[in-house]
Amino acid sequence: MKKIIFQQRKKLAVVASALVAVFMLTACGVDSKQSAPGKNTDSSPQAAANYPAKGIEYVVPYAAGGGVDLVARAVADAVGKKWGQPISVVNRTGGGGAVGAQYALAQPADGYTVLANVVSNTSMMAASYKNPAIKLEDQQLVARIVKDAPAFTVKSDAQWNDFNSFSEWVKQNPEKLSWTTSGVAGYSTYVAAEWLHQLGVDVGKTRMIVTNGTADSLPLIAGGNALLAVHPVSEVATMVNSGHLKILAVSSTDRSPFFPNVPTTAEQGFKDLSAFWWTGLSMPKGTPEAIVKKWSDTLAELAQDPEFQAKLKTMKMEPSYLNTADFNQFVTQEAAYYGNLATQLGIVK
Amino acid sequence: MIESIISLGQGFLTAVTPINLLMAVLGAFIGTFVGVLPGLGPTSAIAMLLPVTSVLEPSQAIIMLAGIYYGSMYGGSTTAILLNIPGEASSVPTCLDGYQLARQGRGGPALGIAAIGSFIAGMVGLVGLVFFAPFLAEQAIKFGPPERFAVMVLALTVTSGLSGGSLVKAAIMGLFGFMLSLAGLGTFSGLFRFQFGIDALSGGFEMVSIVIGLFAITEVLKNIGERQTAISPDQIGNVYPSRSDLKQSAGAIAAGSVIGFVMGLLPGCSAAVTSFLSYDIVKKFSKRRSLFGKGAIEGVAAPEAANNATSSAGFIPLLSLGIPASPPLAVLLAGLMIYGVQPGPLLFSQQGGFVWTVIASMIIGNVALLLLNLPLIGLWARLTRVPFGVMGPVILMLSVIGAYSVRNSLFDVLVAVLFGFVGYFLYKFNWPVMPLILCFILGPMLEQSFIQSMSMSAGSFGIFFTRPLALAFLVVAALMIVISGLLVRRTKQRLQQEGSGQISPLS
Repeated sequence: MKKIIFQQRKKLAVVASALVAVFMLTACGVDSKQSAPGKNTDSSPQAAANYPAKGIEYVVPYAAGGGVDLVARAVADAVGKKWGQPISVVNRTGGGGAVGAQYALAQPADGYTVLANVVSNTSMMAASYKNPAIKLEDQQLVARIVKDAPAFTVKSDAQWNDFNSFSEWVKQNPEKLSWTTSGVAGYSTYVAAEWLHQLGVDVGKTRMIVTNGTADSLPLIAGGNALLAVHPVSEVATMVNSGHLKILAVSSTDRSPFFPNVPTTAEQGFKDLSAFWWTGLSMPKGTPEAIVKKWSDTLAELAQDPEFQAKLKTMKMEPSYLNTADFNQFVTQEAAYYGNLATQLGIVK
Repeated sequence: MIESIISLGQGFLTAVTPINLLMAVLGAFIGTFVGVLPGLGPTSAIAMLLPVTSVLEPSQAIIMLAGIYYGSMYGGSTTAILLNIPGEASSVPTCLDGYQLARQGRGGPALGIAAIGSFIAGMVGLVGLVFFAPFLAEQAIKFGPPERFAVMVLALTVTSGLSGGSLVKAAIMGLFGFMLSLAGLGTFSGLFRFQFGIDALSGGFEMVSIVIGLFAITEVLKNIGERQTAISPDQIGNVYPSRSDLKQSAGAIAAGSVIGFVMGLLPGCSAAVTSFLSYDIVKKFSKRRSLFGKGAIEGVAAPEAANNATSSAGFIPLLSLGIPASPPLAVLLAGLMIYGVQPGPLLFSQQGGFVWTVIASMIIGNVALLLLNLPLIGLWARLTRVPFGVMGPVILMLSVIGAYSVRNSLFDVLVAVLFGFVGYFLYKFNWPVMPLILCFILGPMLEQSFIQSMSMSAGSFGIFFTRPLALAFLVVAALMIVISGLLVRRTKQRLQQEGSGQISPLS
């Protein structure tokens, strides 16, 4: 009996010590990362000149396969080869992009953790919430990399063939318009709201259907469960080419090179629609200037690189580089514009 | 159709080049290996290995990734059966009977049936892919939010039978699971809810850490508490399934394949949903119903067949429409896009050679998986000889790694440990955990399809009753509730007649 109890205790001890050991291991892992700034954050010019001396973590706060992820992977691949250091894309999903962004911006400001940003978790987030989960002030915006125009997309056998007659119909029947978006403060919401606002239609009268994103939203349109989807051209291209959907208008100043036959919104009389999708790069606040510049310059070279351009082309995207100064100014203006729109529409939370 | 067969034949010619064959086998092997590690499922396996494959040619890389996908789906069943650790939610039903079989020294046959069931279901799925892909993808698109909502309701009622004992206890546990799923970003509001000021909770609870806690860690605690010998060391028994095992499983494999395949075509119906559903349907129609949960080999065959059929079926909307039905397929889609392959209906006409090569390689990969795993079963089964004093800490360590690695978050590890204790107390006081897991999985889908339906109808419930398909599912669901209510009462009466007034809870 005594022996059994002893054995049992021994087992317990083994299990407990294993648990403790594992916890210590993981804790150390976390610690060594967080204690790094104390030892390593060296903002001296040498540190920047030697940068990167090790691999870089490129945080994508969204699931693999989306637009932000694809661009990040193309950039990580090209820049990694150029600098001779591995750049690993890490998808930290959840909270509509907040979880990954909060993590990345809390890392040491040494350039070894960078964050993929996108219009919806910067300008639009700042505009939509009184207390946004990620604040613009908390990050060092580095550069814009790619932009993509929104496409007003309906089912291929829908009754409208041009944007004007569709807009006219919506004006007459606002309560019949059902449209999809990836969140109340999502990208599609701003594009659609901007258009409805200009038409003089009350957004609250229309039927907004919140989805998980493009993979969830496009089948709703193709299956006749909703009328309109507003997504970047790159995300609707597949199902438009397959004959399931058609684009009534692309919202930009120039026609999309991928759909040269589709007129722009401006051509159809909507001069002031300006919302579009873009993605770029951020870093934790306080990253040495030389490192920010190195990234920004490299991304500028990349935008001119034929191989990179070809890769974007297969994704139906185009480079649209802005350097650090221009990018900051652009985001500030954009956030103010969306903030104004959000207040007028009453969607600020 | 003849065209499909000719194209497939050409695909085979390309696929059997030594390098492509090697990629298919290598992918299946790596996938199985990663899948055996708990917590590391197909999604993380593909995401981790995506950069590694980028040195290969596009078709080689996709062949390898598909192999990894299949392999890791299969590998998850090994730990479910031998250690009661479901690597992911879709292996939870496999644990129910698989682990019991392993404890009775029949781990070998259980693993064998899992391999054979997965193989047959995988082949059924691929045949469906070859012949019906474009047609089926078109049908799935018509399935809107109201229909999806009705199917979820049906799934909940069908699987409520899993509770075994009290329906009230099952309902309470289901509600608990649903509440857990609410934490994080609200689907509709876009605001954080039930976050309690914890940053890590803004992404909600991670399913894998809850599953690992409730199963793996609870199992270790049970062993400490009750000194059960995990698995009797002297009896591993026959390594291969006997003829009678195969006979008993044949129906379950067929049912699992069909249910898994058909449901797998619907967007949002993950392998977890179909494996639960087929387990319960097979159980409901089995003559040996009382054996389920105590080591019925069909209870392993059905969910394993279903989850593999679902993974194959997922390729249909992926390749023909570019719609990924589950997270691992979304990562695979990223892989395709990186290699410049644009999935969609045009894929078959524009890059037919490529697609057919990949489909042919998937068939080769499935065969490789079977040939690879049957001989290895002896090796896996020998794992069960390891005494608990060694196994317990190993299980704990693997659990911690598994819970951590999904989101690289220490918070998830704490959640797993917490749910390990929760699971232990639930077990002690006879509360079923199955409804909790199921509602946690279905909760977000149920909520979202309900809200989407209501947005579509501008707030009218009529939408569920005016669409024929949705109405049909709801009627069947209502019938299921009535029938299972009657069945439970009858069983209770019979048990009382036979002198034992208690129904033993399943979990």
